[in-house]
Order: sequence, then structure tokens, then C-alpha cells
Amino acid sequence: MGIKKVRPKPQTLVEKIFFLDFIKGLKTTIKHLWKKVITVDFPYEVVTPPIRFRGIHGLRTVDGTEGPEFESWVKRLKIKPPEIGETRCIACKFCQAACPVPELFDIQAEKLDVPEDHPHYGLKVMTVFNMDLSKCTFCGLCTQACPTDCIIMTDIYDLSAYTRRNWVLDKDMLTQIANDFVARRGKEKFNEISQWREDQKLWPEYDKTREKLWDFNMPKLGPNYQDQTA
Amino acid sequence: MSWISVEKAKKLEERFGYPKVSESKGVVSVEVPKDKFIEFLKFLKEDKEYDFRMFIDLTIIDHGEKEDPRFQGVVILFSPSNQERIIVKTWALDETLPTLTTLWKGAKWAEREAWDMFGIKFEGHENLVRMLLWETYPYHPLRKDFPLEGIKDTYLPSLNETLRGDVLEGMFNYDRMHTAIPTMEDLEITQKKRMPVKTSQIVLNWGPLHPGTHGTIWFLFDLDGEYVRQCDIIIGQLHRGVEKLGENVNWQQFIPYTDRMDYIAAINENHAYVLAAEKLLGIEVPEKAKWIRTMMAELSRINSHLLWLGTYALDLGALTMFLYTFREREKIMDIIEGISGARFTINYFRIGGVFADLPYGALDAIEHLTKDLPKRIDDYETLLTRNRIWLSRNKDVCIITEEDVYDFGLTGAVARASGVPYDIRKIDKYDAYGEVEFDIPVGETGDSYDRYLVRMEEMRQSIRIIQQCVAKLRKMSKNDPYFFQTPDEKKLKVTIDGRGMKLPAGEVYASSDNPRGELGFYIYNKKDGLKAHRMRIRSGAFYNLQVFTKAIIGRPIADAITLLSTIDPVVGETDR
Ligand code: SF4
Ligand code: SF4
Repeated sequence: MGIKKVRPKPQTLVEKIFFLDFIKGLKTTIKHLWKKVITVDFPYEVVTPPIRFRGIHGLRTVDGTEGPEFESWVKRLKIKPPEIGETRCIACKFCQAACPVPELFDIQAEKLDVPEDHPHYGLKVMTVFNMDLSKCTFCGLCTQACPTDCIIMTDIYDLSAYTRRNWVLDKDMLTQIANDFVARRGKEKFNEISQWREDQKLWPEYDKTREKLWDFNMPKLGPNYQDQTA
Repeated sequence: MSWISVEKAKKLEERFGYPKVSESKGVVSVEVPKDKFIEFLKFLKEDKEYDFRMFIDLTIIDHGEKEDPRFQGVVILFSPSNQERIIVKTWALDETLPTLTTLWKGAKWAEREAWDMFGIKFEGHENLVRMLLWETYPYHPLRKDFPLEGIKDTYLPSLNETLRGDVLEGMFNYDRMHTAIPTMEDLEITQKKRMPVKTSQIVLNWGPLHPGTHGTIWFLFDLDGEYVRQCDIIIGQLHRGVEKLGENVNWQQFIPYTDRMDYIAAINENHAYVLAAEKLLGIEVPEKAKWIRTMMAELSRINSHLLWLGTYALDLGALTMFLYTFREREKIMDIIEGISGARFTINYFRIGGVFADLPYGALDAIEHLTKDLPKRIDDYETLLTRNRIWLSRNKDVCIITEEDVYDFGLTGAVARASGVPYDIRKIDKYDAYGEVEFDIPVGETGDSYDRYLVRMEEMRQSIRIIQQCVAKLRKMSKNDPYFFQTPDEKKLKVTIDGRGMKLPAGEVYASSDNPRGELGFYIYNKKDGLKAHRMRIRSGAFYNLQVFTKAIIGRPIADAITLLSTIDPVVGETDR
């Protein structure tokens, strides 16, 4: 078992008399005097969050990139087959079941009010989807539970508001957030069946602000494993 | 592995007749009758062969209202010479137990916590007051008949309503009734009871909202001039009932809550918990997950030590240090954020592995960092290690002896600085720690300076471990699994999101070496279940903080800052 004793030698007389300890310390400080500023000047300057960032939630809409099992889920839960642009949510409440704070969700579905001979007779649609994000832990378990890849987490982190009311997001707001995110960075995060891409980058390399917090000495991102390609 | 063998425990059975030995997942526990409890523990502690000198934890299990007897005391001990643990249990008949403080001083706080949470009286305890809640609080919240959401008996509308005039009536999830909060009078009563006899005129209050206390800790110093004669600490301002939550949420759902204990090293908290749950499940996680987890845990350790160093130096007057360490910390946080999606409350580990593979470029960034860090640590050391102000404020300040380590159950860097090479990474060899090379730094005198040096060396050793992990991961394939794959879904279900995951009946204790000491999870599960019956969290910071009240005696008040910084507790974990 490797045990290492730590205890440096006591200060020597020379060190004491000539204040060598202070001089050495000052040298380090002076070295830093000539370095460039590394603080990011928020909010005039922002660092783009990495693609995996777990920010405010969104609800994705149908856009032709659903997973292969999407339709069978829709059938199983007797949901009206959604058109392009309608929400993917099938009100299965799996997200709520996986959530450490389940009471923050309010999900409801209603039967469509159509005559008996209508093809959508007896089918449901999701009507209410409220999330009280003041209670959210931003853990991401809901996104991992969703069978239709509907609920996602975006890169938006600014949730400040003057009233609690603004923390409760409804389904329209959530849909809008997801649409905006998918348009901006969807390609970076998801593949053609809405799953996480295998080649997600540690952080977006197009973001030049990040260089600052890395002391202008950024690592170059390459493959992790021997059989991984760029 | 690090537990007393059943055969050896059976010898106790033969020798005394009354102990009953049982085993579950390698964890050996011995049940003894209440009237023989102290006698038996005394034997375990003093016998040369068994030598269970070190106190690890004491807690209570509530078996439910209908059971008789209902409460059971659980004591976990460690033997430094044999490197093994044992659990001793007894029934708390009439809701009382004899005190352990005559054997281990460190049991003092644990017993107060047990009284606070379960209402078990410890006969012979010198001052059995509450630990985390205030003195006038009427309930014992970890009892099974206490509801999870608490008892909402206080009218406390939101300031949005009272000050801004928002209409919140009927908003979903909003209630004007709130669980009880202490009033000024309650706090005054609490303070008086914590220090019933004072020797001097002045009791100095430090905290709970003082920047030097690194969180919300409230210190009481009974002073004689500048020197501390008596000290007590009031904690609990950040108590959120994490143990209670652990008994009421699913297995994977509990991980985000552990993030919020030691928020500075959230990864290590996740780690300890998943280790315990995996042990109960009896599964082996895939190789790749093991190495990723080891690497991340060490990154987190450096992250935590950098924060410690920065604030410690800041408290002792070296402001620039804080800026330097936060610069390096930012890089680590940036890497962790890229991998897991969060900087602080990381929730990356899962029971069964990790929730996603490393993103493209992660290993490069980590490698880049490990090349850069040693130089930076050298820089820090030039500024501090031999600086005369630093030396005079740290050397021979607040010595913690080896005896204290065993007595108070001190772990982590605090124990190592006192010359005890107690490191769970070496003892339990969890995840990939058995396969990496690293040294345990130990100190000689156990003063603040040693604690400083030990943590500095720990950072260097962590870099060593990370480099080995990176090298190993490089050789793996991108298709290697990072999450446990069950051979038979019907028999054993392990899911990333935790839905439908059942853990078997049994009891386990597993721990990890957190930057703040040994963080252990004791899980007791009566029958297979979606939730734990008892989730005990053995917090290293809690026990380490306890020694503060002893080590500060006879020292000038200015040393309180040094001592607190070198013990380095984090309130999220002490209060849970
Ligand atoms: S991120 Fe976590 S806490 Fe928030 S809604 Fe999703 S599961 Fe719940
Ligand atoms: S899990 Fe997905 S589909 Fe199901 S209710 Fe939640 S968001 Fe909708």
C-alpha cells in the first residue's frame, strides 16, 4: 500500500532573513500581471452551453424524425395520430413517474368531442401540460423516460422572474421553447430518429468565448476511443 | 472484502452465547440483547484480536408502528488493524438505549441525531438535545408515521402575494400553509439548551450567516479572554430530510437528491449511493462505466479541493489564491458540464453505470487539463507552503490526534493528516480503484498545516489516477457498454430512468472516499421494493465537524477559522 508522508523541511535562516518566501510569492503574482483577462463579461458576452446542457424543458412536435416506435405508442394510448407540427406528447405520464418531484407536473388528456362515425372517435389528445419549474431539480430523468422523445431539455438557463407564476410553463410555451431549440441546435444534439447523436461534442467548437475561460489555451477535441472516428 | 468474515463472527457467538450473526451481500451483522449491548461493544473495542476501535456510525431503524419491538439500534464499527467492519444491532426496548459515549466520544452527535429524528432516549448521555431541528419542535420526523410532506400547520403565504399583490390563489402546486419554521424564541431556547452551563460572561455567536462559516453553521464559543473554554455547534439550518426522501422515492430518483448534499463534490455523493445500491442489487457494472466513474470522481475531488484551497486561503487573508483556484475550477466544471449537462448538481452516475457515454473530445480535454494542473498546483504551493504568515497561522494549530480519529470516527483528509492511512479507495477498492496506482498522503502531527499538505498531495495523486483512467479508456471501444445490461429483464430490471426498478431485501453498507471523508450509505430493505425501508447516510463532514468542538478548546478564537477551513465540512452534507 503506497503511503506518502508529507512534511516539508522547516524554513532556513537564509529564507527567513532575506524574505525569500515573499519574493517567490511575488514572482508568481507578477507573472500573472501580464496575462490577458479571462473573465467572461456576462451578459454582454455569453458562453454557449454544451449540447448536453440540462436547461429549461421543451415539448417537441412531430416533424418526421420520430423514433420507429412512435406510432405504436400513439395507438397503444389511444391518442389521435398527430399531424406534422402537432405535439408528440401522448400523455403517458412516464416523465412524471420518473421525476423525483412528480407534483411539479400537471398532465391531462381528453377524449375528442366528435360524432361516432368520425375516424377520431374515442381517441384522446393531450390538453394540459403544466410544469412548475420552480420545483424542478433539472436532473433530466424525465427526458430519459419519455418514450416518444417529446420532452427534451434545452440550453436555456435563464429562468429568473418576479413572480412564481412565470415559473409555471404551459404546453404552448414548452412547445415554443422546443421548436426554437430544435431549429437552433437540433442537428447538434439529435439524430434522424430523435435520439442523442453518438458524436455529440464535449462543447461547441464554434463558440470562441469559451477560449477565455480556458486561459486562451483550448484543448483540441479528438476521438475518445481507439475505434472512434471524427 | 473489508467485512469481518462470518466464521470470525460465529466465534463471538460461541464465546458469548447471546449474539446472533447474520449476513447479507457480504455485510455481517451481529444482534445482541440490549442489556449486553455495552458489554459486547466494549469487548469488540478492547479485544486485541477483534480491535474494532474506530467508530463509524450509529443509527436507528424504525420497523413501523405495528411492530413490537419497533426500533432497532445499528452501530457500524471498523477495525484499523484488520481493515474490516462489523455491524452490531440491538432492539431499543421502551424507546431507550444505553449511551455509547462512554466508549466513543464521537457517538455524542449521532445519539443526539437519533433522538432528534426517532425520539430514542440514550441513557447516560450528557446533554441529549436535538441535533438538526430546534428544541421546541414537537415531532420526530424519521419515524414511519410522520408524513413525507410534513405537517403543514403554519400560515405562510408567498411574498409574491403579500408584497407584490399577485393572485396565486388556485395556482397548481401552491399552498399558503407551510410546515413549521422556528421563531426567534425557539432559537433562543435552542441556543440556551445547547450550552446549559457557561463558564464566562461572554458567549460569542459565530454564524449562522457568516462568510467564514462556509455555509450556515452556528457556533457558540464560551470565551475566556481570547481563548475558547467550551464550544458547541448548532447545525440543521439546511436540513431537508434527505434520508426521509430516500425512503420515499425510487432508486434512481434519489440520485438528484444526493447531488444536493455535498454540492461541491456532487459526483462523489452520487458515487457512494450507487455503490451501495449496486451492492444490494448484487450487480457488476461494465468495465467502461467503472473507469469513467473513477475518472469523474477524481475530477470532482480536485474540483472540491480547489474550492477548499481558495476559500481557506481567502479566510486566512490570501485573496489572490481564490482567484487562481477558481480559474482552474472553471475548466473542470466546463468539462463536467460538457459530459453530464450540469455544472453543479451533476446526476451523471446511475445504479448500473452512467447515463451516457463520454461525448466526443472529452478525454482530450481531460488530458489537456491534467497536463496543465500540476504546474498550477506548484504555483499555489510557492505562494503558500513556505510563506511565513501561512506557517505561523497553520503550524501546530489545533492538533487532532490519532486517538481522536478513532474516537470521533474521523475520515478523509482529516484522519490522514493525523497519521491514519484510512482510505476507502484502498480498503474497498470499489470501481477501478483496485487497478490504479496511487499513494495515500499522511501527515505526522495532525495540525492544520498537515491537513493542508495532505489535501495538496491528494490533488496530485488524483491527477495520477485520472491519467491512468484516460490511458485505459483510450484502449476501449466506442461500442463497449456504459450501462448494466441485464441478461433477463424479468428477473432483474435496471433502468436508466429508474421506473419499475426493484431492489431486493437485505441490508448493505457501502461507502466512498469523498473529499470530505467517508460518505456511507446504509440501506435496509425489509422486502423487495421500489423504495428503501431505511436509508441512512453516514456523512463524513458531520463526524469531522464534531471534532471541532474538541480541537478548538484552549485555542484563541482566531484559530476557529483555520480549524474550520482545514476540517472543510459542507453544510449540505452535515445537515442532509
Ligand atoms: S428534470 Fe428532473 S425534476 Fe425536472 S421535471 Fe424532469 S425529472 Fe422532474
Ligand atoms: S413521457 Fe413524453 S409523451 Fe409521456 S407524458 Fe411525458 S412528455 Fe408526454
